[in-house]
Amino acid sequence: MSAALALARGRLSLVTALPFVLLAVLVVLDVSLQPALLSRDQIGIEVATAMSLVLVGLGQTVVILTRGIDLSVGGMMSLTNCLLATRVGSGTGSLLLWCAIILLVGIAGGAVNGLLIGLTRLQPFVVTLATWSIFNGVALWILPSPGGHVPNALISLPLGDWAGIPRMLWILAAVCVLWSLLRRTRTGVQVYAFGSDPDAAFLSGVSTLGVTLRVYAFSGLCAALAGIFVATQTASGSPTVGAPFILNAVAAVVIGGTSLFGGRGGFAGTVAGAFVLTLIAEVTFGLGINSNWGVFAQGLLLILAVAVNTGSELVQRRREERR
Amino acid sequence: MTDRRQWLRRNQATLLAYAMAIALFLVTSAFAHGFATWNHTRVLLVQACFIGIVGLGQTFVILGGGVDLSVPWMLNATATLLTLWCHGQAANLVWVLPVLLAMAVIVGLVNGLGVTLLGVSPIIMTLGVNGVLQGALLLITNGGQSPTAPHAIQQLATGNVAGIPIALLVWAAVALIAWLLLSKMSLGRQLYATGTNARVAYLSGVRVGRVTVLSYVISALASALAGVLLAGYVGEAYLGMGDVYLFSSVAAVVIGGASILGGRGHYVGTVAGALILTLLAALLPILNLNPAALQVVYGFAILLTVGLASLRLGGT
Repeated sequence: MSAALALARGRLSLVTALPFVLLAVLVVLDVSLQPALLSRDQIGIEVATAMSLVLVGLGQTVVILTRGIDLSVGGMMSLTNCLLATRVGSGTGSLLLWCAIILLVGIAGGAVNGLLIGLTRLQPFVVTLATWSIFNGVALWILPSPGGHVPNALISLPLGDWAGIPRMLWILAAVCVLWSLLRRTRTGVQVYAFGSDPDAAFLSGVSTLGVTLRVYAFSGLCAALAGIFVATQTASGSPTVGAPFILNAVAAVVIGGTSLFGGRGGFAGTVAGAFVLTLIAEVTFGLGINSNWGVFAQGLLLILAVAVNTGSELVQRRREERR
Repeated sequence: MTDRRQWLRRNQATLLAYAMAIALFLVTSAFAHGFATWNHTRVLLVQACFIGIVGLGQTFVILGGGVDLSVPWMLNATATLLTLWCHGQAANLVWVLPVLLAMAVIVGLVNGLGVTLLGVSPIIMTLGVNGVLQGALLLITNGGQSPTAPHAIQQLATGNVAGIPIALLVWAAVALIAWLLLSKMSLGRQLYATGTNARVAYLSGVRVGRVTVLSYVISALASALAGVLLAGYVGEAYLGMGDVYLFSSVAAVVIGGASILGGRGHYVGTVAGALILTLLAALLPILNLNPAALQVVYGFAILLTVGLASLRLGGT
């Protein structure tokens, strides 16, 4: 019994360690290719490049922890990005007001997903596929082709440092602290309980609708945050900016070791996964090969990671069944 | 009498879809001048055939209990490689078409084997393959423009035989094959059994793995065919041309009365779904709506039909 537990722990630690090992390898590879990357400014820039994915990944992590999936994040990112690029005026007041509105749009869009999934028991993928299409359409409606205006105050947000440490590292740390606080809340515990065993969670008083609603609303909020943040990188709006993030957010979560069967994993792995995916693109750049290899490798890495993730889960289940 | 009533009940959703398609056509014709002419109807039918053919593959996969999200870049890859490799020369089709065919089979096999052998969820497996295909295509084209489609392919997509568009004849032919496969061959029954309950099907001797893999191969082939036709119809290929077919193919299948959970539905219904979606698209300019509204319409179509179906089944 204890041996089996140790084995199970062994598997877990292998899957949890994997993203960090991958990340370390990529960092070493990338820095040896481009030593200039180790400067303080460059580290800030690197973190800023990965940040949009980290944010979408945070929402997707929570959704996948409850055995769901949110395909609509790409549409929501594009929609909020277009709102930002077309609506924000020149003043700081206008920027803050619209950022608040955009975050509310994210929460509302996500809540619609959560309500539909929680109330009708429809499969998450079909509901979020439909809302992905709707959000995409609205984004195209707001801004038919790339353009618009992003205020300078926002573009300069990721640049510079506070107390000698790149501003982006503070922001990343803040997001991680936020996660560790959220995880300890009542809802955080319920998310894990629900993901491990929905029936048992229901019987111990966890409201299925309540958890689903909050989880998808949170994912919508994260996508909206990413939609705002990505504007600091592109300095313009685009109705298709979110498209690559659907695959990459799922990939970051899966590479990060969060189980697709729910209830196991967390944000730390996702952050590592997001940086792995971002660094792959960097390394192809450093190697001087076609940067499109990066896109290719990202898709391949997702399939490999899912195979490892699912495979180890199945092996472990079989072991448990045999006992 | 009870036989007929049973038949009506079993095909309720499909019949409803056809009734809706006809009603949409009649109502629009009453308001838009020249809508109901044969010339215009012919254009609409050709437009419907792209959703109809991609939807054919999606029908097989969804019936088997999966879903194929790799449709957009499968279609796009075929269209782009066709134009790229042919360089406008129809003579090159002799080797290009077989290579594209082989590629489609390989992509279908990868999807199917990933789902059956590795046990990866269909959503994530096909999403990953979609990404790989997109990356591979970007690598090959370097994001550049590809040449125009060879004349023979343009002819295939836009030409007529005795007043009937060739594309429509192609659609009719593949629809017939789909009907035969689903209704007259053992593959169809095995697919329904797999989609209804894979475990029970397996225990009753259905080769679940093989059937599932085959459904993904059929889907890749269907997307490839749609890609060839679309390249001919547009006259060229461009990156992103397949994106909307993800939504429209799933929408056509569920509007046609198939269960998103698998095991129930028929390609006959998907055809009606494709017609409805094409009519809705034709309605947008008449109603002075932004073309971007089309994706919104697709999204609501999926939500409405899937939601209604789940209500009818009592919330499964």
